[in-house]
Amino acid sequence: MAGINPGSGPCALSECLRGDERDVRGMERECERTYHRFYNGILSRKASIIGLVLFLSFLLAAIFSPFISPCDPWDRFEPYLPPDQDHILGTNDLGQDILSELIYGSRVSLIVGFGAALMATIIGSSIGLLAGYFKGMADEILMGITDIFLMIPQIPLIIVLAAFLRPSFWLIALLMGSLWWTSTARVVRSKALQIREMGYVQSKRSLGFSHLHIIVSDVLPNLSQVVMPKFLLSIASAMIAESSISFLGLGDPSMKSWGMMINFAFSRGGFINGYWWWYMAPGLCITIFVLSIVLLGSFLEERDESIMEQQ
Amino acid sequence: MLLGKKATRYAIALFLIVSLNFFIPRSMPGDPLTNLLGEDIMLTASSVQELRERMGLDRPLSQQFLDYWHDILRFDLGYSFHLHRNVSDLIYDRMKWTLLLSLPAMVMGAILGTLLGARAGWKSSALRRTQTGFIMAIYCAPPYFLSLIALYLLSYKLCLFPLKGFYSTGSALDIAHHLFLPSAMMALFSLSRNYMIMKGSVLQEKGSLYATFARAKGLYDEQILFRHVFKNALLPIITLLALDFGFIFSGALFIEIVFSMNGMGSLIYDALLSRDYPVLQGSFLIITIMVVSANLLADLLYSYLDPRVRWQ
Repeated sequence: MAGINPGSGPCALSECLRGDERDVRGMERECERTYHRFYNGILSRKASIIGLVLFLSFLLAAIFSPFISPCDPWDRFEPYLPPDQDHILGTNDLGQDILSELIYGSRVSLIVGFGAALMATIIGSSIGLLAGYFKGMADEILMGITDIFLMIPQIPLIIVLAAFLRPSFWLIALLMGSLWWTSTARVVRSKALQIREMGYVQSKRSLGFSHLHIIVSDVLPNLSQVVMPKFLLSIASAMIAESSISFLGLGDPSMKSWGMMINFAFSRGGFINGYWWWYMAPGLCITIFVLSIVLLGSFLEERDESIMEQQ
Repeated sequence: MLLGKKATRYAIALFLIVSLNFFIPRSMPGDPLTNLLGEDIMLTASSVQELRERMGLDRPLSQQFLDYWHDILRFDLGYSFHLHRNVSDLIYDRMKWTLLLSLPAMVMGAILGTLLGARAGWKSSALRRTQTGFIMAIYCAPPYFLSLIALYLLSYKLCLFPLKGFYSTGSALDIAHHLFLPSAMMALFSLSRNYMIMKGSVLQEKGSLYATFARAKGLYDEQILFRHVFKNALLPIITLLALDFGFIFSGALFIEIVFSMNGMGSLIYDALLSRDYPVLQGSFLIITIMVVSANLLADLLYSYLDPRVRWQ
């Protein structure tokens, strides 16, 4: 995992996100190594459990947002209120309660993140699976396509497309999903290459089972351990990318995501006037959520490794 | 044979992405003329007709496509009707400033990130664990958010640094003063990524046999790390750095926006706000070319550094 953090410094937007495979493109052996390198021993088990708890609480907040938010995010009170008892996190320029915005915003941000990640994972896994399982010509063609997709500067492309289309959140998620499958495809392919040589696959093949049957019942279940952490990281990167795109003013103004909230605070003077509560809360939420995903990912990773060792 | 295959892939990728740049404005909803010139431009009916002819929009698509490639090969990226200048001149002007901002940041981030990351991976201590936690938090934060906070605290509240721009008087010292905070932020982000990768990489190498052998022959800890382990652990970082080179112009996008610096990033941002499509597309084209060449560089570098790949 080279970087979940798109947009930062030289590691531009999502480019570095897909870095884990990208940095060693064309070198499958190295692929998986680097991937494990990121997580290996970085975190203790305790940290992983904190990650899990945080992740679940964000998830619950998103699911039950109408029940836990103190008021409707579109209701208007007095503007620019600093945090106090009535409005725990204060209000924005339109007098909307920031805590409620934040809770409802988690829905938008999570849906975009999950949607994009799901799509990227499905595309990536199928391409990687087909390439790795069938090898030969299919592998050549599919990996050629993957190589070409890897070279597209994705965030700049999304920005250009978004500028033309003035997109909805669905479209942004769709664009991210259709561009970000490459690293998943690479990891899945190298795993599938290993699995197809395993005894149980070989024996099933010699017994005459169909490819479809072998893929569904033997290969797919074994891929989950590489796909799952990848999926989580895709969520994290999609969320950061979504917030970055929203920050550029290319988001959907009718949907309040965390990135949109920061964008509003930045463009409507919340920053110049020192209304720190306006942009601190959504920024921290993004950071903490992404952090929780990284921690959780390391948890899955550790679990898989211990399972592998036991086998 | 492998080289030939790779070269073809690069050529195809470059061709496809540059062609994409041709098809995007022509396939998007709305009038292609508007899509090519940008919005909010007042045009009379006669000038619309004239421009349409001059841009070749009345010709068949295949002819337009050939013209497009012809222009690109002559470095003609079109004309910005918002800024009344050639796009290539605009980009060229801004490039220098962005380079000044991001190059030192990338170098600093690479050096500090790898050194600190290597030490953190080599030996764990309470201090280093805190450091890792801190760097990981930076790594997970959206860059524009942290830059906003830094700008607010250091420039706005404490008045340590100027609030915006590359220079106010133009002397070297003044420029350095303006550049310090944005460069430092950028370096911090690149540091955080390099740190994480390097740490994992050293952890992995630490258990290998040659490290054990170096210990057995009596080398000091630091010597094992920097003489033997470091070089091997550096491999993934080097490729990443080569790839960073592709984003040298676009990577500072958010930093430039937050610190209101007139580089490539804010050129793109302003083009976005005013829907100045020629500038947007021209920048995308430059970024694309940079990214593809950085990929090539990374491939070459890696195969040069890692004999296992060279001999495959």
